[in-house]
Amino acid sequence: MLQVRDGAGETLGVLFDRYQTPLYNFYAKLTGDRTLSEDLVQEVFLRILKYSRSYQPGTPFRAWIYQIARNARVDHYRKTPKHISLEPEMAPPVKPKDEAQESQEAEMLHRALMQMPEEKREILILSRFQELKYEEIARLLGCELGTVKTRIHRAIQELRHVFRQMESGAAAGAAAPAMPPRRVGS
Amino acid sequence: MNMSCEQIGELLPDFLQGDLSSSKKGIVEAHLAECANCRDEVAVWQKLALLPMEQPSAESRLRFAAMLHAYQEGRSDRGKAHFELDRVEREPRRVGSPWSFWQWLRTPVGVVAWSAALLLIGLLAGNFYAGRTPHAPASGNQEQIAQMEEELRSTRQLVVLSMLQQQSASERLQGVSYSQREQQLDPQVRVALLHTLRFDGSVDVRLAALDALSKHAAQPQVRTGVLDALQEQQSPLVQVALIDQLVEWRDREAAQQLKNFEQQPNLNPTVKQRAEWAVSKLN
Repeated sequence: MLQVRDGAGETLGVLFDRYQTPLYNFYAKLTGDRTLSEDLVQEVFLRILKYSRSYQPGTPFRAWIYQIARNARVDHYRKTPKHISLEPEMAPPVKPKDEAQESQEAEMLHRALMQMPEEKREILILSRFQELKYEEIARLLGCELGTVKTRIHRAIQELRHVFRQMESGAAAGAAAPAMPPRRVGS
Repeated sequence: MNMSCEQIGELLPDFLQGDLSSSKKGIVEAHLAECANCRDEVAVWQKLALLPMEQPSAESRLRFAAMLHAYQEGRSDRGKAHFELDRVEREPRRVGSPWSFWQWLRTPVGVVAWSAALLLIGLLAGNFYAGRTPHAPASGNQEQIAQMEEELRSTRQLVVLSMLQQQSASERLQGVSYSQREQQLDPQVRVALLHTLRFDGSVDVRLAALDALSKHAAQPQVRTGVLDALQEQQSPLVQVALIDQLVEWRDREAAQQLKNFEQQPNLNPTVKQRAEWAVSKLN
């Protein structure tokens, strides 16, 4: 039994090593909460262990694992309703010491992302950071390829809008940081 | 050709992924040169690269091991599993540590932690075998072991199939090597390995797939698959390896197909020679 148990652990470990960082980044960028992100990554692997048989061979594996990841997050919020904070909980970790401006831009981008509606933020993260092809995203979100592209474009437009607004706000009154508007509901 | 921002917007996502044909790419670039708004959309998208890839904490891997353990233990005792997970979650966490897990493993603390973890697992397993676990009656044991074995098999299959889909050749190689851990060749894994043997972009990965398949000559689908792969193979190295494999299997049915194969025009001379030799061997 021990052998079987170690076998499963070692085997799943291969997947863990491959996917824990991308999944962690998916959650961290989506929720802005590092602790929650690590918890959710663990949950994803627990689910992989439980539901490995639900993977259909021949279909894209990445779409499957991100489907699990999305469900895990939805279930988490179902159990623990989201609390809406005025300030994003997570400060962006980048601080290239010699590039103060880049660091400031990164922080602003992070805040702009966090201020966007969740669906738009999610599709931006999936397409920009998670190595997912549009076809895989379409499969994941259960919509047409064309719809994915339209949504991505709209999300970019909105991100640009929010980001540039923050930027001009910061330039106008450097002392007062821009306050994201309160979002009602989730 | 002048296009509206809306029309360009439809092309933009593919443009950003580098998926446009060169003519459409030219149209988008011409528009961007004139339209500050669309240009800015591209700029903001590119700026997203400033947000870095973050590393999970070093404890993440340990939590994973603990989670696995708790899950497996917990099948006979759910409450305990949750308790163990909770306890792990309450451990203090080193936030943002740049260490990789493997580096950490090599440190004295890592060695001690692992040894302790292994000891704990050993003790718990010993307990289990001794039948002292109150919630795991002996009758359930057989069933549980069978369930675990099925889980292991299914997890391995998942790992192989997913790794064979990776972009990096070294990860695909890892997938191939994982497929060899199972004595039996699962039909789904066989399909995936044969696909790899035919279409993988890397010669190394194709050769490794052949090596993995070579142990399963008893399955007729493997032999036909290898023979089929020979017809489409472009690399002389892989062609020779495939021919050698057919000879090793003493696959007499392959002789006729090899004969046809060696008649192909533009065949590499070495490969042709090898095929002739193979035909003489097999007949």
